[in-house]
Amino acid sequence: MIMTHPGLPDAWLWLALAVMFLALLKILSIKPKLTNKSRYISVEKIPVVGQIAILFSKSPWPLVILKFVSVGLFLTVIAAGLFGTPIPERNLATTLTWTVWWSGLIITVFFLGSAWCAVCPWDTIASWLVKHRMWKRADPSSSLGLRMPKMWRNTWPALIMFIGLTWLELGVGVTTNPYATAVLSLVMIVMATSYMAVFEGKPFCKYVCPVGRTVGFYSQVSMVELRPKKQDICAECKTLECYHGTEEIEPCPTHLVMGTLTQSTYCTSCSACTMSCPHQNVAWRLRSPASEAIQYARPHWDEAWFMLGLLGLTTFHGITMMEFWEKGLSSFAQVIGDSGQLILSFSLGMAIVFAAPILLYAVLIKIMQLLIPIKVSFKKAFSTLAFISLPLAFVYHIAHNLNHLIRESRGFTNVLLNPLGRDSLPLSSSELHMRHMNPLISEQLLYALQAGLMIFGFWLALQILQKRTLDILNNQFYRRYYLLPGIIFIMSVTAFNLWLLVQPMTMRM
Amino acid sequence: MRLSQVFLAMIVFFYGVAAAQAHHVLGRPSYSLGEDSNTPPSMQVETQIGDFYVTYMAFPAFPKPNEQGRVNLYASRIDNGLPFDGEVTFKVRDDSWFASKEEILGVQKIDDNVYRQGFIFKSDGSYIVTAEFESGGEPYKIDFPLQIGEPSSVGPIGITIGVLIFVLIIVNVLQRNRRFQLKAQRAHRANNQ
Repeated sequence: MIMTHPGLPDAWLWLALAVMFLALLKILSIKPKLTNKSRYISVEKIPVVGQIAILFSKSPWPLVILKFVSVGLFLTVIAAGLFGTPIPERNLATTLTWTVWWSGLIITVFFLGSAWCAVCPWDTIASWLVKHRMWKRADPSSSLGLRMPKMWRNTWPALIMFIGLTWLELGVGVTTNPYATAVLSLVMIVMATSYMAVFEGKPFCKYVCPVGRTVGFYSQVSMVELRPKKQDICAECKTLECYHGTEEIEPCPTHLVMGTLTQSTYCTSCSACTMSCPHQNVAWRLRSPASEAIQYARPHWDEAWFMLGLLGLTTFHGITMMEFWEKGLSSFAQVIGDSGQLILSFSLGMAIVFAAPILLYAVLIKIMQLLIPIKVSFKKAFSTLAFISLPLAFVYHIAHNLNHLIRESRGFTNVLLNPLGRDSLPLSSSELHMRHMNPLISEQLLYALQAGLMIFGFWLALQILQKRTLDILNNQFYRRYYLLPGIIFIMSVTAFNLWLLVQPMTMRM
Repeated sequence: MRLSQVFLAMIVFFYGVAAAQAHHVLGRPSYSLGEDSNTPPSMQVETQIGDFYVTYMAFPAFPKPNEQGRVNLYASRIDNGLPFDGEVTFKVRDDSWFASKEEILGVQKIDDNVYRQGFIFKSDGSYIVTAEFESGGEPYKIDFPLQIGEPSSVGPIGITIGVLIFVLIIVNVLQRNRRFQLKAQRAHRANNQ
């Protein structure tokens, strides 16, 4: 029996559209500022949370304990996947990995940035295997320490991995297959370990890991960042312990220098810099979300593709859970003579959906080039404005994931108590119905969150568009109509994603 | 070729091996339970082939050796929903790389829009049940997975551990060679001075 989640009601849709219209008027009415002054609040000054942040910054042990928990759960996932029941909703491998972790992870990025990477079990196990250290600096001879070849020092491998992961997830159906989920986990361990054993630092995290890069790019739209407390201390620092490490503490695994850090994309929140800084000048702070995407992050060609890829793939996730997708895929398969699991039809459909927003974006960038009075290369304009896709992808991703997390994670405690699902039966129709009717939070609150998120993403994208357009124009000749192609893109993507949210969504398990 | 490129090529090769070990599944198995019946849970796979939607159900969902089981096959035309009316041949073979021996389970005629085939397997294993029929002069052949008893799960763990040990040993050996070379170079320089 296929159950569907109800879509966003019309009232919420119209409310969201009305607020978005006002946001559009607002952005067109204000004069862009050359630099936006961001406000910051040190996390350490917040009661309770601040104490926890200090604890994590000064001692390695809280993080080590969390790593043990994360590795323990990860190994249980593998055991459950390989030796447990094949019923996906009764097996910890599928429920924890896809319903709880993968859905919840994106939500945590907003509040905690790339904190997940600090306790990632793939990296932790790889580190333990290669470096034989719990947290202290390892002997450099534990790895071959080769430099990653220059042609691979970009985010293309991560984009390819993310496309592959989406294909496995939705095309091959790994999300409903505990065994395949466990095998995928093992493959990730082998990859992380091999990269760490051969190359210096953590190139797997920086260039290859689809989860790490997704978290990294989304953390540009996060409300927290790890930065120097006082910039002048870093400016005068000659020893750069954050970059080189100390006798005890590892250097930054992704080669970041705290004093010049302007974007969190490659920060893995490992705490090496907070512990190695002799001036204790590195700390977490609250900031205006997207301040990084609006002005601080530097545009790069490969990163622009990753951000647009994220947008295409998140929208694709939503589309595959619509009833029309199944019907369309079936008709398409008949036309091209595809049979069985319809992998070929799925792959072609995925390629089309993935390419559509990127193609639209490229066309609009071309139009923008014609509109503006100065000559700017296509590559520069494409890379600079690609940041607008980040909040659009992020908010839709969260809004979509909220449906999975809030409507499908009921009963997770039972799975946790019986992770292998021994002697369990599939969900009966009445259990399915009960889950469907009893989400973790009230439906109206869920709708409010989804509508609010879409408005928030739209507003951030408009701000990014305005500031980045000004950057392209070298802060001169600004005219409102130069924003038009970007506004068309933002409106098209938001309208389509809102429409997807309004549709009933097929329950995953 | 640089050392890093050799290693990357090796990594790619081992991922290929790991991927080839993956489960052979055509269609997506799902498990269901009728709330208003006391029948055991069933495993169901839906798939599409040519002009037909085909649904395959296995009872019980997790059959054991020497236990009576049954597969039900429904085939209906995509265009008008009419069931296929003819004969379906059910065959079975081992789901392993080098298995070629195929046995005929039986040939079934339609019974209340369903083709029913009983089975008893003597030993644990992963099997592929093939359903074959002909419609409009075209042959149709559909493979479905059938797991008897517990699946063998040592394979993926064994491969993972094997690859990890191999990588770590190679790195260790190369590092030792490097150190020896470095020592030899230093000694050579010291002798020359």
